[in-house]
Amino acid sequence: MGSSSDARRSRAWLAAWVVAVFGLSALTDLRTLGIACAAAALIFWRGSWRAVRKVLLSVLPITLGLSLASWAWLRFGLKTGPSVQPFLALGLRAALIAFVTFSVLARVNLLRALAPWPSLVRLLCLALAQIHALRLLATESLLGLRSRMPRKPGAIDLVRGAGGITGALFGLATRNARDISDAMRSRGF
Amino acid sequence: MHVPDGFLSPQITIPAYAVAAPLWAVGVRRYFGRGAVESLPVVGSLTALAFVIQTIMIPVPGGTSTHLVGVALLAILYHPLVAFVCESLVLLLQAVFFGAGGVTVLGVNALAMGLLGPAAAWLVYRLLGRVWGRGAAFLAGYVGLQVSTVAVAAVLGLQHHLSERYFPIPFSVSFAAMVIPSATVTGVVEGLYTVFALSLLRKAKLRGLEL
Repeated sequence: MGSSSDARRSRAWLAAWVVAVFGLSALTDLRTLGIACAAAALIFWRGSWRAVRKVLLSVLPITLGLSLASWAWLRFGLKTGPSVQPFLALGLRAALIAFVTFSVLARVNLLRALAPWPSLVRLLCLALAQIHALRLLATESLLGLRSRMPRKPGAIDLVRGAGGITGALFGLATRNARDISDAMRSRGF
Repeated sequence: MHVPDGFLSPQITIPAYAVAAPLWAVGVRRYFGRGAVESLPVVGSLTALAFVIQTIMIPVPGGTSTHLVGVALLAILYHPLVAFVCESLVLLLQAVFFGAGGVTVLGVNALAMGLLGPAAAWLVYRLLGRVWGRGAAFLAGYVGLQVSTVAVAAVLGLQHHLSERYFPIPFSVSFAAMVIPSATVTGVVEGLYTVFALSLLRKAKLRGLEL
């Protein structure tokens, strides 16, 4: 009972989020975006710092960097006089959508919400498990390569090191994926 | 290469979803149903591999960086629609957990990086694979990435054309910023990755994968 109402609540959050992000992606006016930011901060006040941190680390550097570089190129390279407002709006819109996304996803159980689509859940589980496994294996291989070399490995060293180990790692990853897939199928997915 | 959320208006993102949705439905039904028991683990691993290699940024002159896509391989091994579904999943995970790309732009990114690029790679490999082997694999990876890059740049250009207030960066700037690194650096690395991964997969002789 509890888990089905949880799943319903998660799906309702996801539906509201999809509508909200499409709505936010249509905003261009700085004042409207400011009001939307204030509303989002009020709605997602609890746990907002974590979402803000994620936005600051993963979204804003790219958006701001791109906007600044493009503005500077237009201003100094092409000698035009671009207005700052659309660039600010672009950065704010991207940051706001990301903030809403991170805040909503912190409040839903994605796998539970996707339960009516078992193939999707199975593929998602496989991909997530493999992403963690491959990242771990890649980090371990890099650390192993570093420990075997007297200097910092260059690009050629990385390619040489990767050549020997990647095949074996990929074989292992696929066997892991097959085990997970078989286990999930035996549980009705 | 991903277009982030907020860079494209609903004028573009909603039609892109309208095009992508039926293709997702066909792809999932045809390639990820009950009959995919054997291939699903390999596809899952290749999807994860694509996810991991997309996080590896290649520095390019001028202080920026670019990245591989890695799903041309899935198109060559299975079908462009498999690559499309898998790349969509990769893009969704990146948007949801890492803030790369986004949900409103998922349809656009998936069509550019998951369908157009891999379909071009698949076509190149189908045409040249029998006569040119490794060269065809390299060219497939290279061409696939260029097609994806040009598609993304074209969409950004279209957004600028529709509303300069919404996306103030002119097509010439975004096109040059995207295509130059892709044609000179990333495309070559993507081609080499495709050759390397195909030869590894041939040696591995995995169940659910016929080469």
